[in-house]
Amino acid sequence: MRSLNIFLYEWKHLVRSPFKIVALLLFILASVYGLHNGADLYNKQNTEIERLNEKEQKEKETILTYFDKGEKGPEKRPWVDVTTPFWSIWYTPTYHFKKPSPTIVYNIGQTEQYGFYKKIDMYSSPYDADMAKEIANPERIQSGTLDFAFVVIFLMPLLLLVLLYNIKGQEAEQGFLPLIFVQTGSKNWWILSRTLFYTMLLLVVLFALLLYGALLTKIFESENAFLPIFMYTAIYLIFWVVVYFLILKYGKSIISNTLQMIGIWLLFAFIIPATIHQWISIEKPTNLMVDLIDIKRDKTDEIYEQQNIDIDKQLFNLYPSLKQTKIAQDTVAIMEARKRSRVALINVAMKNGISRLEEDNSIKNNLISKTYWLNPVTYFQNKLNHSTNTHYYDYQTYRNDIQVLVDKRIEIMVLDIWNDVKVDKAKYLEYNEVFSKN
Amino acid sequence: MLQIIKNEYRFLVRSRIFLGISIAFISILILAIFLGNYQTQKQEQTHKNAKDHVRQQWVSIDEMNPHSAAHYGTYVFKPANLLSSLDEGVNSVTGNVLRVEGHVQNEIIHSEASQMQAVSRFGKLKPSLLLQYIVPLLLIFLAFSSVSNEKQSGRLKLLVLQGAKPLQIILSKTLSVWLYGILLLTIVLSVYSILNYQSLTAEILTRTGLFFLSYTLYYFIISAITVFFSARWQNATLALTSMLGIWIIWTIFLPNILMSSAEKWHPLPSRNKFQSAMQEDRSKGLDGHNPADERGIALKENVLKEYGVDSLSQLPINFDGMRMQADEEYGNSVWDKHFGNNRKILREQKQSFQLGGIVNPFISLQNTSMGFMASDNLHHQEFLLQVENYRRVFIKMLNDKQTFGGSKTGNWGWKEDNAFFKSVPDFDYKPTQISNVFSNYVLDLGLLLLWSILVIVLVIFGTKKIKIG
Repeated sequence: MRSLNIFLYEWKHLVRSPFKIVALLLFILASVYGLHNGADLYNKQNTEIERLNEKEQKEKETILTYFDKGEKGPEKRPWVDVTTPFWSIWYTPTYHFKKPSPTIVYNIGQTEQYGFYKKIDMYSSPYDADMAKEIANPERIQSGTLDFAFVVIFLMPLLLLVLLYNIKGQEAEQGFLPLIFVQTGSKNWWILSRTLFYTMLLLVVLFALLLYGALLTKIFESENAFLPIFMYTAIYLIFWVVVYFLILKYGKSIISNTLQMIGIWLLFAFIIPATIHQWISIEKPTNLMVDLIDIKRDKTDEIYEQQNIDIDKQLFNLYPSLKQTKIAQDTVAIMEARKRSRVALINVAMKNGISRLEEDNSIKNNLISKTYWLNPVTYFQNKLNHSTNTHYYDYQTYRNDIQVLVDKRIEIMVLDIWNDVKVDKAKYLEYNEVFSKN
Repeated sequence: MLQIIKNEYRFLVRSRIFLGISIAFISILILAIFLGNYQTQKQEQTHKNAKDHVRQQWVSIDEMNPHSAAHYGTYVFKPANLLSSLDEGVNSVTGNVLRVEGHVQNEIIHSEASQMQAVSRFGKLKPSLLLQYIVPLLLIFLAFSSVSNEKQSGRLKLLVLQGAKPLQIILSKTLSVWLYGILLLTIVLSVYSILNYQSLTAEILTRTGLFFLSYTLYYFIISAITVFFSARWQNATLALTSMLGIWIIWTIFLPNILMSSAEKWHPLPSRNKFQSAMQEDRSKGLDGHNPADERGIALKENVLKEYGVDSLSQLPINFDGMRMQADEEYGNSVWDKHFGNNRKILREQKQSFQLGGIVNPFISLQNTSMGFMASDNLHHQEFLLQVENYRRVFIKMLNDKQTFGGSKTGNWGWKEDNAFFKSVPDFDYKPTQISNVFSNYVLDLGLLLLWSILVIVLVIFGTKKIKIG
């Protein structure tokens, strides 16, 4: 009953405070804007994926006409022969996508740092130039998109500050704090109840906003991520409520409380993450990919210059069944097969280089994770990134999937070349089906 | 007026909280400069190692066909910039590695941001982060009660009775807060200059001078508005909350919203659309690797006619190199068209964003800060243009060698020796001079100046309505 009275008083206080109402409305407005930004990105990526699927389909149809007409390939490229495994697989268009999760509506995360589609061929690697992010204004990327997560992580603590800043301080300044303590019985309970009122108000607002976001990308139809995301935002809200509550409990005036609250916010939102970012950059400077460059050029040249016997040894090691093939016994045909198969050895070298690179990145990520205990804002940001499949590791999984598809493509190509497979329309369609699956 | 300013500082210095906050903040500022400098040095070292490594590979080519060397290519790494230790701008989100090769203008890849999980939304601990976000807040905290306190204590009335005009009082209070901001700015630039005194050039001094100017204008705007609110509103809390509201809208809300809107008003093509369009245009031109290409055949006829011979074998030059260069030149016109179009869109986006400075001086400050520190998109684009110009010279040298180096058409086995590859110059980045790009920032500086004038006008006219007692 006592709490209900405090809640009712607080409600009256809120509706009579235009500053707090405006702040709340601005927060809701920014959240809706952020949700629409997320939904726009979701739709934009899906439209692009659809367009690329259509493009892939058209490319496939063009190749199928060669089979129907009994042609070997494009008229202007007389050296192409789609009835051979190499050229047939070369002309099997495969795009691999990182399909956006509907939860991207809440959090764009690191989406804009990476590409989300990749055309795969035998020479592809997850670190190709076309894996770069979409073309965008770097100044916009640097300032970041105002998404819902940004509103929650950075603006919600400020809204909470606006809602709570004068609790106790105002009464203390007006001199009737002792009277309130006498009436309510407990100082802590009174501050806590007032704080809880705003906490509950914000929880309701957040829930409503999350629901609104869910309608924009139909989250409930495909994923079970709504509740975990709500849970993270609620925990994050409670974290700030606790911090501010302690300031209010021990604070003496509105101004001193406000300054302390904004100081803590600056510390957690700006100073600590920025210092950690700077430290990581000093500990592990940006990788300029020299290892991969060496593999792409020198290692590749080295593989092309190796003796046939060495190449065969490595290929037989990689694909033991090659030894028994017809081509392996044919001293003339083996030359072309060997030439086409060298890409498998380059792929192995690239994979080794990439794994060193990913290891290097993993060290950076571990360093960041180790600072979470003092860096809650980054912790929650990355938690949200995980929940919305927009984290670094989600893109690493995407890169790994690409590597699996490249491996599969090369393996099938090498085996079919060495087994002297003749490609017809059915086989070409089979390639298309097999290569599009992870 | 000077006496009021002196008094203000006397009061401030007596406050232990103020002194404590100032010392702590100045320490963080100095730490940020040290760390920023150290990071730049480390990045420079990484850059140098990578550049030397790639160059060494190039000059170690024993013998190679020049066109094969064009495919082997080279790599250019985006250099670290000494000024970026003050404001990193877009450097952490743009790529760092650019492949230079024949037939294609590549895009820069491998950004720092893509190599790790999310850390800081507002970038690293650089002086710009503190100067743009935190110092204005400090100025607000210093100024929000400067006049209202005087009102409440009755000192304002006393000052007026002693002959001070309200306008003088407000301007003096503004100047005292503003000078505090300038002091912090001066400390930053002084420490930066001491740490880098060996590398200071007229260019760097000019740029840091302009950097200083834009921040001083912004700090004046913030100080004057806060002092004005302090005088205009009845209590300090209202002045503080109003200014915090303005700070949030200016620094957190509007830059994000306006930049996103500018990108929507002037949309860039998707990567795939961009590449497909280039590919399509490219396919309309000459294919340097295809001897059966119609345009290649037409070129051949012209060359045969020019040399007065009947067949390629009679030519004293290697026609393959000539065809490759023709292919390259056609390609260049395609790259110019498409990359040029993207640059045009980026320029339009930037211009729209700059106009945001009309409602938000923080936008103008951000633009000038990273612009004068050579770390904005304009400077990034200038770097990319230099690399592309180098690529064209680099590939032409190789194609000319293929054509006129003594080989015959069709002789792909012909190789040039190491001396030639050593003679191919390395990419030498020429930092963009501020005099060449200054005009791009006139609007931002102009808007900051306009805001300062408007704020002065507001103070002059608004002061008349202020109740003294």
